[in-house]
Amino acid sequence: MIAILAVAAVTVGTVGLGAVGTRLARTTSDLLVASRAMTAWWNAAAISGEYLSAASFLGIAGLEMQNGVTALWQSLGFTAGYLCLLLFVAAPLRRFGSYTISDFAEARLRSPRLRALASATVLLIGGFYLVPQLKGAGLALGVVTGAPYFVGVLAVGLVVALNVGLGGMRGITYVQAFQFWLKVFAIALPACLLLIHLGGLPARAALFGDQLPSAGPKGLVVSLPGPQPVTFPAATRYTIITSPHGRATDHARHAFAGEQTTLPVGRLVLPPHAPVPVASGTTALRGSEWARPVGGGGERSPLFVYSLLIATFLGTMGLPHILVRFYTNPDGPAARHTTVRVLGLLGLFYIFPGIYGALGRVLAPQLYVTGATDTVVLRLPQAAWPGTVGNLLGAITAAGAFAAFLSTSSGLLVSIAGTISHDVWPRVSREKTTTVAIRRLRFRLGAVLGMLAPIAVAFVAQGVDIAVLVGWAFALAASTFCPLFLLGIWWTRLTAAGAGCGMVAGALVATSGILVGLALGEPSGVAGDLLAQPAIVSVPIAFLTMIVVSLRAAERPTPDAEMLALHAPEGLDLPEMGVRDPFVLGESATRAQG
Amino acid sequence: MAPDAQARGRTPPDAQARGRTPPDAQARGRTPPDAQARGRTPPDAQARARTPRDELADATEHGALYLRRLRQRQLALSLLALVAFGALVGVLPLAIDLVPQLTRLELLGIPLAIWLLVVPLPPIFLVLGALYARRADALDESFRELVRRR
Repeated sequence: MIAILAVAAVTVGTVGLGAVGTRLARTTSDLLVASRAMTAWWNAAAISGEYLSAASFLGIAGLEMQNGVTALWQSLGFTAGYLCLLLFVAAPLRRFGSYTISDFAEARLRSPRLRALASATVLLIGGFYLVPQLKGAGLALGVVTGAPYFVGVLAVGLVVALNVGLGGMRGITYVQAFQFWLKVFAIALPACLLLIHLGGLPARAALFGDQLPSAGPKGLVVSLPGPQPVTFPAATRYTIITSPHGRATDHARHAFAGEQTTLPVGRLVLPPHAPVPVASGTTALRGSEWARPVGGGGERSPLFVYSLLIATFLGTMGLPHILVRFYTNPDGPAARHTTVRVLGLLGLFYIFPGIYGALGRVLAPQLYVTGATDTVVLRLPQAAWPGTVGNLLGAITAAGAFAAFLSTSSGLLVSIAGTISHDVWPRVSREKTTTVAIRRLRFRLGAVLGMLAPIAVAFVAQGVDIAVLVGWAFALAASTFCPLFLLGIWWTRLTAAGAGCGMVAGALVATSGILVGLALGEPSGVAGDLLAQPAIVSVPIAFLTMIVVSLRAAERPTPDAEMLALHAPEGLDLPEMGVRDPFVLGESATRAQG
Repeated sequence: MAPDAQARGRTPPDAQARGRTPPDAQARGRTPPDAQARGRTPPDAQARARTPRDELADATEHGALYLRRLRQRQLALSLLALVAFGALVGVLPLAIDLVPQLTRLELLGIPLAIWLLVVPLPPIFLVLGALYARRADALDESFRELVRRR
């Protein structure tokens, strides 16, 4: 009940603040004037606030509980991505004055066709990244209210589409900065209090020894809302209660090690210290395996870890909702200093998710049975500290999860809707005579359309872990936009044809790897690692294609004006050389404002 | 919105940012020599010796050369930072994989490998980023000096 109130408060507060803020800052120039008065700390908190998504808040802890501490490489990569952004992209891009990836592609390489390709890629990546947000929302609402998964996905998808369509939230640095600190508070306070309450990490044998995840000293009762296929990692006795109250239908059973069975609807009762069965498709890990960051196969193989690090390190800059936020920095050096602060703020946040994964392994083993490890951040407080305090802490994490989900998916949807309304719409209606009202209507339709596909995919991908879905989005971004930015900013000989071919090649390799991996049911071995996390292959392919095709061009491109706009320091009083098309800029401004 | 957008198209928002005196120059009490001339072309611009700034503004080959030097120095700095990052982060997975002691030895009851994974890297990113930003700003500043002086 408290949790429902907390979630409602966060949602209403975000939507409401956004609506009021948008009314106050009506034009983009207002927004820029306001943002000049903003310090680098505010900007950094706003960037971090939009970046920390369901994957960071729920996904990492869930993946850690399931696959072990190897999941923490992901949070490392999420942070390191901003280092790459800082080193190669932040200042030049801010100077160039492009609001969006599509603007950059068009203006840097003087090619409207490349813009179309970039826009298509924005839709693909944005859609991929929205799915895990929706999945997180569906799970979170289910935990808080008991609503079925699809209700949560639909309801929250609707709220976000409404929020974006009505122009809320976007561009309001204060709201995003507030969201960041809300998220830090919501993940840090329960984690710290739980650690103090438990007196440190409990049950070290289960974490680092050779124990399997097992029922506590009082046994374990798991309620099963649907038939649940499971694997028993070790021999144990168990009881299934199928009738709500009676004992008439109790079945005492015995499972042998490795037994696969489908548990019926009802309640599973395990005796004290019995190893818990795990949902099929997942593996029960002994403590020593669980605690090993690298080593062995699958998610812990060095190849997979390196590929994941490459995807997150290079992919961050290619997420559609990241760059717009950098525009609130007044100039290039400010963009640099803001990014440095982002590194610090993200480092602070990512201290905490790992604590939930570790505690969840010991205190919430029932999540292994249903495979719902993604909900560990939401469920752990009640499981570890039954009673009012646990409920209260659970409400706090639920509110934080909703803040994470709302801010990221709103940012994504703004980018998607802007792209749909500006680039996908038939060219006929792109004439300058279109009124503001029509453009706004198009943006709203774009917001609705942009939400439909991710909702559909979120239904299908219910069984895929949040962190895995996010990993794909990063792999895709790293294989397309990262080479576009790095070569576009630092290499004069990049041509539009080269950039286009490289992006297509990178996207094809990355998506086909992911899809083939899914179709084959996650094969094991080196091939499986590469299919599950294709960045280590697809990124070099994209770079090489761009370079080779560009070098084969008949004439050398002469991007002197573009290079001047990208790299000339401020304060030289040079004529403007960045994005010159007033229509493009005006449209982008609308987009940035939402 | 439409006329507003048009107006903005003519003077993009960052034109103001770029025309402004850099905040650090103000802080140090320095006035850029061309601050006075901003906004209008001096009538004797042709007569005066051409400065690197003119070369840049007129997009001559000379100006492109100046800019290329700056770009290359900035890129070299970024790549240096990248190598430092790669050496620190890139080695870690392999080290944990190949050195079993890291997973066996424990500090405060937690394996050393987990400490290595969780504790040192985020602060290192922060320090690396801050050092880089300082050097990159300094490169920009020295370019500004070069362009203004002659």
